[in-house]
Amino acid sequence: MKWRVIKAYIVKELTELIRTRLIVMVYLMPSMILLLFGYGIRMEVTHARTIILDYDQSHFSHMLTEKFEHSKYFDAQIGLMSEAQALHQIKKAKADMILIIPASFQKRLLHGQKSEIGLFIDGAFPTRATTMESYVQGVVLQASQEAENIALKKGMIVINNRNLFNQAMRDENAMVPGLIGLVLLVAPAILAALLIVKEKEKGTIFNFYASPVGKGEFLIAKLAPAFLLHSLNIFILFLWATYLFEVPFRGSFWLYWLSSELYIFISLGIGMLISVVTRSQIAAVVMTVIVTLLPGFLYSGIILPISAMDKASYIEAHFFPIMYYNHILYDTFLISQGIASEKIVLYLGVLFLYAVILLGLGTLFLKKELR
Amino acid sequence: MMRIFWTIVGKELLSFLRSWGLLIVVLYSFTVDVYIAGEGMQIKPRNVGVGYIDNTGGGISQKIISHLHPPEFLPPKRFLSQKELSEAIFNKKILVGIIFDSDFEKAYRKGEKTELNVLLDATAASQSFTTLGYLQNIVLEFSKVDFPVELKSHKLFNQNADNHTFMALSELLSVITMLSILLPAMVFVKEKEEGTWDIMLLMPVDARITILAKSFSQVLIVVAGTMMTVGFVLFGAFDIPMNGSFWAFFLLTFLYSFTSAGLGLFVAAVSKNILQVAQLSMIIMMPMIFLSGAWTPIYAMHPAFQALSMISPLRYYIEGCESIFFRGTDFFDLWHYFAGVLVLGSFLYWYGFRKIGKLF
Repeated sequence: MKWRVIKAYIVKELTELIRTRLIVMVYLMPSMILLLFGYGIRMEVTHARTIILDYDQSHFSHMLTEKFEHSKYFDAQIGLMSEAQALHQIKKAKADMILIIPASFQKRLLHGQKSEIGLFIDGAFPTRATTMESYVQGVVLQASQEAENIALKKGMIVINNRNLFNQAMRDENAMVPGLIGLVLLVAPAILAALLIVKEKEKGTIFNFYASPVGKGEFLIAKLAPAFLLHSLNIFILFLWATYLFEVPFRGSFWLYWLSSELYIFISLGIGMLISVVTRSQIAAVVMTVIVTLLPGFLYSGIILPISAMDKASYIEAHFFPIMYYNHILYDTFLISQGIASEKIVLYLGVLFLYAVILLGLGTLFLKKELR
Repeated sequence: MMRIFWTIVGKELLSFLRSWGLLIVVLYSFTVDVYIAGEGMQIKPRNVGVGYIDNTGGGISQKIISHLHPPEFLPPKRFLSQKELSEAIFNKKILVGIIFDSDFEKAYRKGEKTELNVLLDATAASQSFTTLGYLQNIVLEFSKVDFPVELKSHKLFNQNADNHTFMALSELLSVITMLSILLPAMVFVKEKEEGTWDIMLLMPVDARITILAKSFSQVLIVVAGTMMTVGFVLFGAFDIPMNGSFWAFFLLTFLYSFTSAGLGLFVAAVSKNILQVAQLSMIIMMPMIFLSGAWTPIYAMHPAFQALSMISPLRYYIEGCESIFFRGTDFFDLWHYFAGVLVLGSFLYWYGFRKIGKLF
């Protein structure tokens, strides 16, 4: 190792990064993804456009429709249209659901008979459909409890729930930490792949083949700038999360920092492996996005907790480093067990192994000769 | 005129087939990638891990527990102390912890108000929320309250709320977007980088024909890939319903790819090399995909984002595709999706012609 050579090489890489304005991308992209996802994706449903067809127009039916009108979850529209017209609205994607109160609603209730309310939900978006269904169930339940005072009936069990780690059930708290894991998987990988493939595509890699610069020196020079630049992103993303999205940070910052740096090494390793198999920059970018973004999103625990996956996905999730990192991330942000928990120590070890293996493989496959 | 057009198209297709690395990436995105997305996820709460502490000595508590069965729940695990239970939640082994206090059964038998304590891991907000709903229903059923109102709900177009088809379709649309921006942008910038683009412009061929032919060749690739995915993955593997007209989908896809190619043209016009293409198209694509309404409906977004999404062609395309596949909307009710895509596309090509189609 000649440190002078490495230093010169790193200076060259940094100058190039600045000259090609790639540096803008290094800092713009991670923050952009975080902001877009954080603001753009909502798991909870608000303002569901509901068409209510009230054929009863009675005291009870008004009590029910009022509940919908005064809720932030629904944008109720008491309809003066036929069922076919309402269905047409759904087909045109102008409404999300139709609630139909039958004509004999109040009469049947007063006679102690069971009455049925019809609910038709647009199922094109299945998750939202299920969520909306449970909201409507909640509203109907509440309305009829108020109407009948059932709550005081004998032998009623009341559920007293405590929402751990996220009392207010904020979407931001549940999502933003997971997003950091996604961003730090994608961005460094792209940069590392680009830095190497760029030389391959332009042919300047022959300078390296022909020069006495060693393989190790070359790699250090290529990866060190990417590593250092993205290390700053760890702090930037942390600030966005805690100040802009107001996610609480309850754990140890050292653990967050350390595991994030490890994780960046993993991402760089992925980028290196991609640079081995691709020859053009565009293929490298597309491939990096495909192998990191999609699995990263699926197995990040943002949409679905790992423990609730079915068997096959559960096993697959264990192959992707994001699962381990995100466990630590959620812990540092919301749970704060820290290294007192054995699982976290184990996962840190797994991350370390991943970094070593990926970087090792990358070094192994990078050949200092023409293929 | 037409001969020149088709020659250029042929040349581009040939050079695409020759760059095998790119070919593999494109094939992968259109098949395996879409398949993984569709196969990988069920967002509905399934296999939810439940743990409980029972200090009542059985009876009612066990009856309630026995209602938690697959596929929604994993077999509930019994813990001996509250410490063990919370530790399991902290380590994300289980999502829900139920605590039956020692006077739970006594109170229930006496007919007093009975409380059931439930701990939820709220980092998975949507799952725990839905699980809570399930529990509430179970308890209601159990309390034998004769509930006067029954909600009969139907999920139109997708009765089982099956997520595979939806996820696969969304991923396909993202793939189409990505490739139909990147491929054309790359074709133009490659020539720019090598300096052959200036020679093309100097030739006695209308620059607009060259531009159209070049983007058309890439649109062909994307449309061919799309048809492959629809045939093999969507219909073959996931049995996705097609409630609307297939030709409406085909036409919309074609127009949309052309518009995205227009975006690619825009990217190519302002960037000097492939590296800049990669950066710029990322910066354009990411907001497009995530503000398209595929993950969160447009009307539920921040007003600023709603306004922004008006200029994203993907917005029209996604809503149009969902309507065609699931809602089975009539052809004439789809007109504004076609119009939105067309207007944006014409504008982009107008800009592209002016910016890249002139030497001076």
